Amino acid sequence: MNEFESKLQRQPVRQLPADWRAEILAAAQAAEAIPHAATPPPRSSWLQQQLTAFFWPHPKAWAGLAAAWILILALHLAMNDTEKHPVLANQNLTPRPEVIVELKQQQKLFAELMGPREDRVADRPRIHSTPPHSFRQTTMAG
Amino acid sequence: MPALSQLERLYDEQAQVLYAFLLNLTRDEADTRDLLQEIFVKLAREPRLLTGVREERAFLIRLAHNAAIDLIRRRGTRERTQENLAAELSSLFAPAADPDETTFRHELTAALAELPPEQRAVVHLKLWGGLTFEEIAASLELSPNTAASRYRYAIDKMRERLRPLYEEIR
Repeated sequence: MNEFESKLQRQPVRQLPADWRAEILAAAQAAEAIPHAATPPPRSSWLQQQLTAFFWPHPKAWAGLAAAWILILALHLAMNDTEKHPVLANQNLTPRPEVIVELKQQQKLFAELMGPREDRVADRPRIHSTPPHSFRQTTMAG
Repeated sequence: MPALSQLERLYDEQAQVLYAFLLNLTRDEADTRDLLQEIFVKLAREPRLLTGVREERAFLIRLAHNAAIDLIRRRGTRERTQENLAAELSSLFAPAADPDETTFRHELTAALAELPPEQRAVVHLKLWGGLTFEEIAASLELSPNTAASRYRYAIDKMRERLRPLYEEIR
């Protein structure tokens, strides 16, 4: 500490007013006497008490119930995901190649069973779009 | 809860140091009284604060510092102007019989008022609180190096400010 600092240090600070002691200690004593319960408890403490009173008797049971609900919620969300994406869902309905081959074979077999197209036309009962034979002959003779 | 006798003992041992420290920071005697009372009321209401405290002085200085800084922050710019006016009224130092000393103390009070509160706190505790840099660091929750550098900055400013008068009267 140099001379300048020593000079500063030698300056006497003011004395604490003597009459403050009684006033300050009286105020402290009065504050000490005021019970803390005078201030209303915060709302969170009331809510906390109620929740504790409700849940505390069987904490494991409540925890199990909560876990079950979480599982149900998870399953529900998973199912909703499938429903919300019809494109993805439709992709599952697209027939596989071997199914298509099978379907074509069945179609071919069905066609063979039904026979060729000309045969089928010949087998059909004829519809006379022209006049009957007797009518034609009469007309020519006349 | 601390017994009244414990509060009385604390007051008798520490109140003078706290008073000068608070007066230096607030520059106002009424504010100093309010803060000093606030500290003792707090100790009476929350006795746990003193549980396990080894250095009562350091702890009380920390409480006083925090309370004073809160007060300074609450004051607006307008009130800071009033604080500067009050600084002339609420001198930190005892009146002197010698006119030169009176002038020097007046100028010293003004020089202290120009320091930022964090530097003023360190200077006060070092010069008039009799604390080491380690004790100041513990009280103000600083590193000792920070406390020492704040002290050096503050002393340099004050020396510059008071040099003409100091050269004249020494």
